[in-house]
Amino acid sequence: MSGFFTVLSHTADTGIAIEADTFAEVLEWASRGMFELMYDLGDSAAERSVVVEVAASTAEDLVVDVLSELLYVSEAHDVIPCRFAIAAVDATSARVTIGVTPMRTELLHGPPIKAVTYHDLLVEESDDGTWRARVVFDV
Amino acid sequence: MELERTSDVIWEIPASEGMRVPGRVYASDRLLVKAKEDQAVRQVANVAHLPGIVDASMAMPDIHWGYGFPIGGVAATDVGAGGVVSPGGVGFDICCGVRLLASNYSLDDFIDHRNDLMAELDARIPRGLGKGAIASRALVGAVLQSGAKAVLDAGFGWEGDLDRCEERGTSPGAVPKLISQKALDRGGGQLGSLGAGNHFLEVQLVDRVDDEEAARVFGLSQGMVVVMIHCGSRGLGHQTCTDQLREMGAAMARHGIGVPDRQLACVPVESAEGERYLGAMAAAANFAWANRHVLAHEARRAFAAAFGTSPDKTGMNLVFDVAHNLAKVERHRVAGRERELCVHRKGATRAFGAGHPALPADLRPVGQPVLIPGSMGTASWVLAGTDDNPAFGSAAHGAGRLMSRKAAKRREPGHEVRRELEASGISVRPGSVKLLSEEAPYAYKDVDEVVDVCHRAGLATKVARLVPLGVVKG
Repeated sequence: MSGFFTVLSHTADTGIAIEADTFAEVLEWASRGMFELMYDLGDSAAERSVVVEVAASTAEDLVVDVLSELLYVSEAHDVIPCRFAIAAVDATSARVTIGVTPMRTELLHGPPIKAVTYHDLLVEESDDGTWRARVVFDV
Repeated sequence: MELERTSDVIWEIPASEGMRVPGRVYASDRLLVKAKEDQAVRQVANVAHLPGIVDASMAMPDIHWGYGFPIGGVAATDVGAGGVVSPGGVGFDICCGVRLLASNYSLDDFIDHRNDLMAELDARIPRGLGKGAIASRALVGAVLQSGAKAVLDAGFGWEGDLDRCEERGTSPGAVPKLISQKALDRGGGQLGSLGAGNHFLEVQLVDRVDDEEAARVFGLSQGMVVVMIHCGSRGLGHQTCTDQLREMGAAMARHGIGVPDRQLACVPVESAEGERYLGAMAAAANFAWANRHVLAHEARRAFAAAFGTSPDKTGMNLVFDVAHNLAKVERHRVAGRERELCVHRKGATRAFGAGHPALPADLRPVGQPVLIPGSMGTASWVLAGTDDNPAFGSAAHGAGRLMSRKAAKRREPGHEVRRELEASGISVRPGSVKLLSEEAPYAYKDVDEVVDVCHRAGLATKVARLVPLGVVKG
């Protein structure tokens, strides 16, 4: 997978910026980035897989909705997503397979994220066909 | 963005570029410097675009960069004139707030029982990750409808507690069926838990009293050990806001509303979507009132166990419980006329003055207790609301962050922050030592200066200063 994410500086909250070759990779890096802000994923082994399917009306909304769904899965099921694969994606729908490990306090290294915001949200394809995105989280 | 000074602690952003009213920031020169460095002042101007907003888009002295609204933001919209409600003006942690308990104990008592007390609190107060909770999930249905009253009826807390809660601990108009199954899955098992981040339970000492009469009425005195609890509606509230924001974004187009930041999504209060949001918000708020109520109950039990007595002998009466993330329909005078307004307080504390009919009879002579927590190494404050408050009965809600989390984390590791706090006599029981670095005292502004600006601007007046003795963090 190509691309990367960087951590944005924000006074009260936190966020990530992503650069990637494809929209699918944007989704994958955004998912990974959100959980790496909270947890030291390191070499955590996934104990099982969960499939998340999301549809939205725009690419921006799709990013927010996928990340929000992963937060829900994590907190509702007491698991930490540690492996991410975008099984299928187009501009308005995505199927994401995550590998999860049981929630453990010792993996926590950042404050738990409460929600994915629309503030300063950016998802765009550049003229050269690569993608960049920016997402701010409430912590 | 240019600001015009209108008094020693008030700064105006002239209305321009789609702003319906000016912006108004309450700050000293020093407090304003940081707000101007990032997007906080721009966010005050953005909020001024909301349909129906009256007077000004305001920011309290603890203003800092948030998402959509600035933290410390106050905005009131005229309900009868198409005024909107915006979930961004409440935030994801619906009804996050602060509760303060008095006690019969002194500093010497605390020192004599420090280890036992901190061990009891450490063991009893669920925090951090996971679903550890004091109260049963089975209570959640009743809690969503009637808040703190539901847990009081289930045996948590004391009869007089509700008299000392904003809204008596129950937000009116709650519609529990609007709380999604996802919100219940996420937070239903968290009733009676702190969470993490900047949430805490602190044992504090009243180290100074500025207003003896108000302190007496509140039930505080110099040298008293008190307990402050800061937390909100946990995953249930976070998911409720997420659900509602998604619906509201789509509804805005139907109402022909545009805003400069998507997190400011809004709809008229008097619309089907507005009523849905307020109904869901009130139900999530009821979870938060009940959450703090249950935690306070457990704190009383922890003190009783540590001091070898029963909870009713601890003197841990409720001083007050007040929210700082809420939108409420209230009546205020604007331009000489009383109007029904939807007052958004995003990181701002309700601060009603003496004589306000919403206050219980015993508080009416002096005004509402306004609780302003600082950082875990400095101080917190109790103020009293003023009857001529210029910000729709609102004041600051905390010290306000000075450093980003990233910068604070770089400065010192969590174990070093803990060592320094312990060396200064503050016992720390963290859910995660690593997370302490982001909440270090140096990451926050000077709470004394924030409170001083509140006092000078007439937002609220100083009553008592509290210093930390023991900190239980998420």
